[in-house]
Amino acid sequence: MNWLIAIVNIFMNPFFYKSMLNKATPLIFASLGGVYSETTGVVNIALEGIMLAGAFASVVFTYITGNPWIGILMAVYIGAAMGALHALACVTYRGNQIVSGTALILLSQGATGFLLQRIFGQPGSSDLVKTLPTWKIEAFRRIPFVGLIIGDLSPLVYIAFICVICSHFLIFKTKLGLRMRAVGENPESADTLGIDVYNVRYFGVIMSGILASLGGAFLSVGQLGQFTENMSNGRGFIALAAMIFGNWKPFGALGASLLFGMAESFSYQLQTQSILKLPPEIKYLFLMIPFVLTLVVVAGFVGKTRPPASDGIPYEKE
Amino acid sequence: MKKVGILLALLVLLVMGSSFANLTVIMVTDTGGLGDKSFNDSAWAGVQMAVKKLGVVGNVVQSYEQADYVPNLEDAADIADVVVGVGFMMQDALKKVAPEYPNTKFIFVDGVVDAPNVLSYTFKEQEGAFLVGYLAAAMTKTGKVGYVGGIPIPPVKRYEFGYRAGVKAYNVWKNKNVEVLTGYVNSFSDAEKGKSMTETQFGEGADIVFAAAGLSGLGTIKAAQEKGVGSGYFAIGVDQDQDYLAPGCVLASAMKRVDNAVYYGIEAAVKGTFKGEHKVIGMKEKGIGISPMTYTKQFVPKEVLHELDVIKAKIADGTIKVPATEEEFKAFMPPKIEF
Repeated sequence: MNWLIAIVNIFMNPFFYKSMLNKATPLIFASLGGVYSETTGVVNIALEGIMLAGAFASVVFTYITGNPWIGILMAVYIGAAMGALHALACVTYRGNQIVSGTALILLSQGATGFLLQRIFGQPGSSDLVKTLPTWKIEAFRRIPFVGLIIGDLSPLVYIAFICVICSHFLIFKTKLGLRMRAVGENPESADTLGIDVYNVRYFGVIMSGILASLGGAFLSVGQLGQFTENMSNGRGFIALAAMIFGNWKPFGALGASLLFGMAESFSYQLQTQSILKLPPEIKYLFLMIPFVLTLVVVAGFVGKTRPPASDGIPYEKE
Repeated sequence: MKKVGILLALLVLLVMGSSFANLTVIMVTDTGGLGDKSFNDSAWAGVQMAVKKLGVVGNVVQSYEQADYVPNLEDAADIADVVVGVGFMMQDALKKVAPEYPNTKFIFVDGVVDAPNVLSYTFKEQEGAFLVGYLAAAMTKTGKVGYVGGIPIPPVKRYEFGYRAGVKAYNVWKNKNVEVLTGYVNSFSDAEKGKSMTETQFGEGADIVFAAAGLSGLGTIKAAQEKGVGSGYFAIGVDQDQDYLAPGCVLASAMKRVDNAVYYGIEAAVKGTFKGEHKVIGMKEKGIGISPMTYTKQFVPKEVLHELDVIKAKIADGTIKVPATEEEFKAFMPPKIEF
């Protein structure tokens, strides 16, 4: 009975949903990035590393300029550059995409750790920098309950949702989107019809770099105002799972990210319910909820999703 | 060939020469790593103090995951005279490595390894946590206070139960009913998780949150900082004096003088008095305490500050035995004391 009260209590609490949105935002950005890349047929497991680089770049440039928006802008550039590097290896030189992705992750972990020490003079974590101020949207704030959830969030949360809507439109309603999907399904036919397969793939991979980098920037200047080593902490891989669970579609990725965000937020809320008197070891087990959910979801749904037919296969021009 | 031989001999001489002159001390961090502004940084401060005062050569190796402990300790022991290992989670790794290097001296903080070349330090974290727990209970406006733990290893649990005992003592002595919300984030290195756990507790009505979570605890301070100075929301820092990280938003810090312990360990090695033993450090030894509340003293009523001083003395002289485990906590009844 206590459990039931606790669970009802959680779902009645607007803060639970707000925390879910905050938890989900980095995943939304990164999984959406994955959608771009894989729609054009390039597997991008480097999301984790690109997030880390984005988190780092945004903190460094916020530190230098004092303006978090400039930090975010630089994160976009760094993300694009890392995407371009991945595309260079996988598209132009037709290297193995998993190997290139892994290399980028290692590069990013090493470079951020090294530069952190050079720039801030200490290993481990950076100085504190300004965070992006939240947007207080009065029109939303007046709505009861919902206002408490979406009335006062980091701008990047709103931007993430806008990105999802725009991406859906771009991938499914525009000529460019049609080309992206064609290149991911059957690059030979697309090539025959005069589409430049390489250019389209470059576009997809660079977009994925930009979005993943924004996810990382949300973690650092969006949330904490600090960079800590390896701060992406596996979120890039969870984003990959969200993309797969979301069937390689923007809204699917959004839904899956929200579900993972909710699971994590739920595990925190459940620990905090004072009505459940539990020892620390049991509370600790609640933290497995997101991972159990991942397993259930992957086992239950992945069979039903379908990747683009040429996903992961390098294309060689005749 | 001859040239290479001479070069090698010179190199060996150089290495030996430097090691004769000064002890080499290498510290191996736990996964929280340097920059956590608490546990690891405090231990590193102890090494640096030894570098300055005793002229030893100090260096540090970072561990990023638990699998790093054994190779890091081995690498350090290969070249150092004294290896400082910090963090309970290193206990098994050190148990394995220490016998392999009988001539290397190990200083181990937060756990116990029974070997002739290991000097183990543990702390009575519960005593400092008791003080901040009492302070939090006295200062809360909502009747709820929070606790964010990293991973439930013994030192972190000692913090939890000491803190809860402090709140319980306040409830008994003052006939109040302050509640404690607790949660664990399963990491000493993810400030984002610490922040969202703290926000969750704020959302559930807590207004003062104590974090014993290494670097993750910086998220707790960040969450309190976002609420603003004078909002009534506070974080409580851990291990080092973290009050300066967000002046006015960190009510106090439960201090654990890891730096002093590490320093005295190195000093013993330099003076040749080093031996493998287990030392427990508490308030009586002045290794545990509460920060001077540099930025928040004006928020705290005079009588509360006075009560804290009384409690401090009572803990040091053993009148109050602060519980360290869940069983002890359940059995704990605060003794009557006169303020």
